Amino acid sequence: VKHCLTTAIAVLACAAGGYAQQSPAFSSKIEAVRVDVLVTDNGQPVRGLGPADFEIADNGVPQTVDLVSFDEIPLNVILALDMSDSVAGERLEQLRGAGSRVLEALKSGDQAALVTFSHAVQLGSRLTADIATVRSALADAQSSGQTALIDGTYAGIMVGESDPGRALLIVFSDGVDTSSWLRADAVLDTARRADVVVYGVSVVSRLKPEFLREIASLTGGRLFEIEKTTNLAATFLGILEEFRHRYLVSYTPKGVSKDGWHKLDVRVKNRRTTLKARPGYLAGDAGRD
Amino acid sequence: MVLFALCACTFGGVSVSVAGQVRAPASGAKLPAIDEVGPGRLERLEQWLKAAARHSPGEDDEALTEAAAWTNDDLKKLWVDVNALTQIIRLPPDRRPSKFTIRSEDQKRPTLVNYTATQFKRLTALACSAGGNLNDPPGERTAHGRQCIETADQLDADLRQLSALVHSAKIRGDDNYIIRRGALLHGDVAMLAPYSMEAPGDVRPTGGLERFRMEISDGQEIDLRQSAVHWEMARMLLDFVRPQGSDHADPGRDDMVRQWYRATASWMQLREDHDKRHLDRARTIFPNDPDLLFLSASQHETYAGVPIQTAVRSAVLPVGVTMDVGVERAELREAEGLYRRVLELRPDHAEARMRYGRVLGGLAKHAEAAPELRHAIAGLSEPEQQYYAELFLGAEEAALGNRAAARAAYDRAAELFPLAQSPLLGLSEVARRSGDRAGALKAIDRLFTLTGEDRDEHDDPWWWYYTAQARDAEDLLEAMWLPYRTDRLQ
Repeated sequence: VKHCLTTAIAVLACAAGGYAQQSPAFSSKIEAVRVDVLVTDNGQPVRGLGPADFEIADNGVPQTVDLVSFDEIPLNVILALDMSDSVAGERLEQLRGAGSRVLEALKSGDQAALVTFSHAVQLGSRLTADIATVRSALADAQSSGQTALIDGTYAGIMVGESDPGRALLIVFSDGVDTSSWLRADAVLDTARRADVVVYGVSVVSRLKPEFLREIASLTGGRLFEIEKTTNLAATFLGILEEFRHRYLVSYTPKGVSKDGWHKLDVRVKNRRTTLKARPGYLAGDAGRD
Repeated sequence: MVLFALCACTFGGVSVSVAGQVRAPASGAKLPAIDEVGPGRLERLEQWLKAAARHSPGEDDEALTEAAAWTNDDLKKLWVDVNALTQIIRLPPDRRPSKFTIRSEDQKRPTLVNYTATQFKRLTALACSAGGNLNDPPGERTAHGRQCIETADQLDADLRQLSALVHSAKIRGDDNYIIRRGALLHGDVAMLAPYSMEAPGDVRPTGGLERFRMEISDGQEIDLRQSAVHWEMARMLLDFVRPQGSDHADPGRDDMVRQWYRATASWMQLREDHDKRHLDRARTIFPNDPDLLFLSASQHETYAGVPIQTAVRSAVLPVGVTMDVGVERAELREAEGLYRRVLELRPDHAEARMRYGRVLGGLAKHAEAAPELRHAIAGLSEPEQQYYAELFLGAEEAALGNRAAARAAYDRAAELFPLAQSPLLGLSEVARRSGDRAGALKAIDRLFTLTGEDRDEHDDPWWWYYTAQARDAEDLLEAMWLPYRTDRLQ
């Protein structure tokens, strides 16, 4: 959640590379909070807003917005895709097709990664600007076994965290978790600490996709419940399009305690708009050595 | 797949089925109060006697194939006639009825079975064979024995040989020949001929002897159908087992019955073909048997697990059919009590202690769980069991906020199974929760490097935790079958 402000600005301009190179940035003492905000008016994205247009309160304490970016920051798009038994045959082809369409729609400077999960979590490709590598990994992915949705989502978040760029995690599952080791509450806790925005895509069934709904809500993303996967590509592309039209707002928190849950209240001044952003973030330590 | 003795999930090609409980409607269930025995019934009973006596336990032989071909309707009638036959064998002639009242496991009202005079005479003749009375020494013949000799010409060579086999068993001190072999036959059909369990029929309960089976795959119901009642037949027969020297049925004093329940319940858990009634009956007969209590506990623990709970939530059941699976917390509490009972009886049962610790953790009793898990680790010798204990200890220490202890436990689990992903996920999550992003990324990177390895279903024991308790099922079955492979009808 927190980054070196100066480093963050640099990274926002050219997000690239692996976490091994970027991780020193996280130890900086000057820390900024980033909030991904979707601003719409009658369903249409509102453009042209600057720092002065936003109001942010962190645990009720008004903050000064340092930076607002829109559409010019490269994206890190992580696909976390269910490859369990239920995703086979035509559905697998539709899923591969949807992933490929997202990869094709990426712009220069964007990066992508692939995580697949059945009961086993596998990294298809790390974050890379070499989209062909990701496409190849997607083509090779096979379905079998149970569904470790929670483990797979956690892995996707961590891929997002491996690079300080602006991360969008698209999680697709046609079922519910049946075999994860991690508990949902632990991964939701991780999501509260992360800068990754999670969009979930779930196929409608008798079981409600509560985990995906909650993690999408916590991170400022959305859950799409679709009847069929025949038009999955359109859903994936719609998510990418929506994410590109979000503002990345950052501020350096002042007047608030460092640790614990920080409730965020984001508004646009003097305009009637609809905002979607994460409701808060979690910072600091939870335990002892 | 998972099957409930109402269910099924697929996992790496392994069939898992969970049979949840199916109950007749609370009201409106008209039990067949009177069963008028139709033609052909006793011919089936005769076939059954021969198949039971001919079957070599554990083998897919002709006798098993024959029994597996019987329809569920045949089996329901056979269940009645075998029950009547067994009553004739067991009861003294002066108390032997001409009409039989029979009640299945789920029935509250008994069924009255009416045989015609001719049918009853044939039933009695078959009982002479199954009771070994044709071979009673002349000096020991009762009135019934003398009657048997008179009917001997109505019995073919196989039935006369059966009488001799039964008589030999009696001389060895076991007056349960056909009962044991019938139970072995039906248990084997259920295990070795799974196709025979798929009984076409209405999925609405009618109140008679019924078994439903639900298949779940990847957490969702994929099928619900009637299932053949072979397990019910086997359990009913074993209820009649009379220990040596006893004048009444008392299966709780018979070690073969105990072995049969332990082996078959283990088989069910290994195959994820769950039937709560099976272990419920076992515990009624053997209330203080630590092995059966352990399997019962692990069944409740399994029912509390995500795959079963998810399936139960997704299931759409016909009116009057319910699954006997509680909510997660209720199942965990059942498991907690049963594991505790096992540990009272056998404090050195380290595997039970390990599972008890996990269940306590599931009930958020983390401060109690961690010491139980540490205690268990000291007594476990199998790497797989040690892995589970370390993995669960990692989770409990993390829940208690003891990061270093959690890391250490996860590290030990990872050392035991280097290709397992669960400890690495645990290590990463513990680090991330403490704000150590670099540490979290380092652990997850270890997991990602496993991707390039030749991974398979056996990398992470966590993936088969819910069947690991039954890993010795095949050995138990073999040991139980072995003594019954001789002295068969040829």
